[in-house]
Amino acid sequence: MTTKTRSTETLSTDFKIDISDHGLGRNKPQRVGRKLVLPMFAMALMGFAGGLIVAIIRAAELSDNGASDATEVLKHVGAGFMFIGFAAVFAAISFAIARILGEFRAGGGEVQDTIGTRTVNTLKMPASAKVFLGGMMMAMMLILIPVILHFVFAADITDTLASLEQSEERFIVLEGIRRIGVALYLVAIAFGLATIIKVLRFESIRIRELPNN
Amino acid sequence: MVARLETLTRPAPGLDFRKPSKQRQIGIGLGLVGLVLAVIAGIGNFAAAGDVADGTAGETLRWTFGLSVAGFGTVKLGIAVILVGILVRLWLRVAAVKETMPLVKAPGDGTAAQTGTYDSAWGKATATTTAPGPLPIHKMARTMWFPMLAMGFMALMIGLVLALVSSGETNPGSVASLFAWAQGTMFLGEAMLLGGIAFLLGSILAAIRDGGGEVQETVGVTVKTLKMPASAKAFVGLMMVGLMLGVAQFVLYIFVAANASANPGAWFAWLGPLREVSLGVLLASIVLALYTIGSTLGFQFDRMKQIIGTGK
Repeated sequence: MTTKTRSTETLSTDFKIDISDHGLGRNKPQRVGRKLVLPMFAMALMGFAGGLIVAIIRAAELSDNGASDATEVLKHVGAGFMFIGFAAVFAAISFAIARILGEFRAGGGEVQDTIGTRTVNTLKMPASAKVFLGGMMMAMMLILIPVILHFVFAADITDTLASLEQSEERFIVLEGIRRIGVALYLVAIAFGLATIIKVLRFESIRIRELPNN
Repeated sequence: MVARLETLTRPAPGLDFRKPSKQRQIGIGLGLVGLVLAVIAGIGNFAAAGDVADGTAGETLRWTFGLSVAGFGTVKLGIAVILVGILVRLWLRVAAVKETMPLVKAPGDGTAAQTGTYDSAWGKATATTTAPGPLPIHKMARTMWFPMLAMGFMALMIGLVLALVSSGETNPGSVASLFAWAQGTMFLGEAMLLGGIAFLLGSILAAIRDGGGEVQETVGVTVKTLKMPASAKAFVGLMMVGLMLGVAQFVLYIFVAANASANPGAWFAWLGPLREVSLGVLLASIVLALYTIGSTLGFQFDRMKQIIGTGK
């Protein structure tokens, strides 16, 4: 059966919806979310473990008055691993939110199908969901680019005062970028959760319309 | 205490389900304020990078640390407010389903569904004649989310003041001690805020379970409830580990601050990553909580279709 979809605002509320003759199922980001949430979760745990191990090695070097260039290399590498962990855990949270939104979209459509309503009304992707996706991608870049640069700069360190100073400067700049990335990721997650509120509001209204549809 | 907190997470009498959520707006507002604080701190870091050669970068870096962590905390508080909004909306959805289900469900054939444990598409589930009571972890989540958020935010603010004071301090011994206190306190606050968010997610799981039970009891069908999935058990375990690590890093930072013979550089080299791991583990527990919410919603939609289709 082919699905005819058209945009309308026929509900008593101001929601933008798709009207179809059967449930639309999950959209692409939601299908991706379902598949990637657990791999990202596993990657996060590995990143955190790697970061902590490097940090312990560096602490041992520092307490033994080890070479300055070695401790500086380990500082960059440790931060790189740790923020692979953070990028992965934030991605996993985002994918888990997308999975929840997918359950609402697919489940809501299937319930309307089961009742046999004349039309299946599905909420179009709200603006907050678009901000969630866009914010998540930008934040991911703001964390992953510094992570790559941490490894690149670590390979560039030599045992001279100028090199060590340059390494410290680079670390401070990358730390600033990472912090902005983390805050942006958290805000994107807030928008993702805010989308769930909108979906629940739409559902409460739509459910009450079903007996007359 | 629980009764008073329920006034925050249950819809107020007469609340119009069509109206937009206030918590959604407040939460997004707090999130944007937090982002601005983190951006200011990031710009501060860029400026401090130029002061490495003359050895004055530390002063700037201490306040940018405080401001950025306070920014993260503010966004997390915004997330918590949005989660409260989700709880309120979940109960409004329960009311809608209770009202509508008797009108749309099939009449049924007069026989009741079997009770006992069975395998559903979403994991092991139980079928009972009445709604099962809340699990102990759900009761704990409903009691603990608010104190955790309140204590977390207070710790964060105390840590911010300590970071700002340490930024203006010139005595190296005092700087090391004050900044150790600031780091430990702020990350204890962050861990508590994430703990509060995790407890709110636990409260959402409780609301989905209780709401589902209430609807099925009201409609007069067998009450089918998903058993606690493995992801939920792992969520509780990881959350406890994350909180314990958050407390441990705080205690160790105080030890460094109080112990003049300790080598702060060596201690900070692994305490910094340890405090990040504590937050990472808490965030990982949040992933599992959200994953479990997705599974329970999937189970709930399947059950709704079953009641509509078979009437039992």
